[in-house]
Amino acid sequence: MTQVVVGQILNGIILGSLYGIIALGVTMTFGITGIVNFALGQFMMIGAYATWYFTDLVMLPFPVSVVFAVAIAAVAGLVADQALFRFTRNNLVNGLLVSIGLISVMESAALLLFTTTPKNMDVVIAGSWSLGAITLPRMKVVAFLLLVAVIGLTWLGLSRAWLGRATRAYAQNPEAAMLMGVPTKALQTGVVVYSCALAGFGGALYASLFSLEPSLGALFILKGVEGAILAGVGNLLGALAGGAILGVTESVGSLYLPTSFRDAYGLVFLVAILLFRPAGLFGGRK
Amino acid sequence: MKSLLLLLIPLYVLPLVVHSDVVLTILIFTFLLGILAVGFNIVFGGAGQLTMFHAAAFGIGSYVTFLSMLRFGIPFWLGYCVAVVIVVLVSIVIGWICFKFRLKEFYFAVVTLAFAELCRLVALNWTSVTNGTLGMLVLEKPTIWLPGSGIVRIEQTTSWYFLSLVALSAILVFSVLLMRSWIGRNFSAIRLNEDLAQTLGIDTFRYKLLAFTISNVIASFAGALYGFYTGYIEPAYLAVTQSLDAIAMVLLGGVSTIMGPVVGALVLTSLPHLIELPAEMRVAVYGMILILVILLMPRGVVGLFRRPRHAA
Repeated sequence: MTQVVVGQILNGIILGSLYGIIALGVTMTFGITGIVNFALGQFMMIGAYATWYFTDLVMLPFPVSVVFAVAIAAVAGLVADQALFRFTRNNLVNGLLVSIGLISVMESAALLLFTTTPKNMDVVIAGSWSLGAITLPRMKVVAFLLLVAVIGLTWLGLSRAWLGRATRAYAQNPEAAMLMGVPTKALQTGVVVYSCALAGFGGALYASLFSLEPSLGALFILKGVEGAILAGVGNLLGALAGGAILGVTESVGSLYLPTSFRDAYGLVFLVAILLFRPAGLFGGRK
Repeated sequence: MKSLLLLLIPLYVLPLVVHSDVVLTILIFTFLLGILAVGFNIVFGGAGQLTMFHAAAFGIGSYVTFLSMLRFGIPFWLGYCVAVVIVVLVSIVIGWICFKFRLKEFYFAVVTLAFAELCRLVALNWTSVTNGTLGMLVLEKPTIWLPGSGIVRIEQTTSWYFLSLVALSAILVFSVLLMRSWIGRNFSAIRLNEDLAQTLGIDTFRYKLLAFTISNVIASFAGALYGFYTGYIEPAYLAVTQSLDAIAMVLLGGVSTIMGPVVGALVLTSLPHLIELPAEMRVAVYGMILILVILLMPRGVVGLFRRPRHAA
């Protein structure tokens, strides 16, 4: 039984790192632009389909297709930002509605292009590692390590580089940052584009693990928002932890309780955390 | 109130002129979803709380009304009374939790969304009662007593048209009276500045809870009628998208205005059907309408014709 539980915990952490990368995007965009881009899940979908397309149809090697997928998601993010999100800065409700409109448009475009038939990508890295009685598919472990690396690098970049300090300065006090010469407009656009690229990267790894459907994004944005809030909005490394906690709660919860309520366990946990620590698990006092 | 009546009277005589079933059907959907939007506008446009629970209340309204009719063999309106009791209890529990812990804006939205998702999962997985994903076919119809013709089953499009229009009018009149009363003024005070409202002696907890409950009861009314009109009840009634649709209608029509939610409901229900398109494209058109309206008319359609009034 312990092995099953440990296996489920590992599975939960790996799935949770996918939630985490969306949560990171949510946390960053909310801090800088004051809106939540609810279409992030659809940018993930773009990344996933692009990876599948370049790997299986164009026959490019997987890493190259991942780069292409991230680039496509980033460009789509840039277009969305310049055409839409630029006008909804610091207006949570309008941003929400614009991203819902964007979800409808992107999902129906995906339906027209790829139909509802699930697409399964060829295996990228075959085989699995076994630890005692627990077997972990190699691709899952690799995907997990890549996601952790990207989240860690983002955190490093934001805490060390000038750009990161500018970003945090802006989040703390927009006017003062502007006076100190931070290019605020470029910064806001940059954050939106970067979060879309992150989502695209998550999607690329998703494609290598699970089968693709045009509606795959909807689940992930909910988990991403939950993860971000769980950790405390604005906490970058916390986003990863928040995602992982959600993943583990779900996997372990569905071991002991009915599986069909899987999505509920994370929610109950989230509500409990918000009630007793309103600033999130790792958030300081406010 | 006069302008409200002036806008509603043409709708009452419309079926005498227009006989097209398509037009009337679109208007019925507009009225039913309009009720949901008016309910949301009380808690959001009134008390300034961004709830995401109204779709769940909508779904509970249709599920409980139908199930209690089925189980206890009672008529539609009594069945709806059962639904009201349940929705009030649920709203008080959830509202109590959210407001006691002082959840605001984004956090309030996410927690109510979480509760709504829990309700949807119950509807989806309690298969023995709700028939799960397949949903339930509703063959019963509401009956009403009319002077002269006795008890009538609401079946034809025209009778549904009048029932939904009367329901919408009643809810609109109620919301105007509510928002003009001292309760409505307290709601506005909370929306405009909650701390100040508290300082002035308004029990913000109680009024937010009241706004949340009233709006959920109205949403459940829309849901009960909607389920019996379409003849089909499914877990998707409780989905996030349903909540978002109502939010979109209110924002599109104009927040904190009387007719705004109805105008928004009309635009979002009719426009995708007026343009001849395959189903996938219809969703895309819906999205584009939403984006364009939000970007071009930030104060909504009604806001275009009116100057901003404080505490409307």
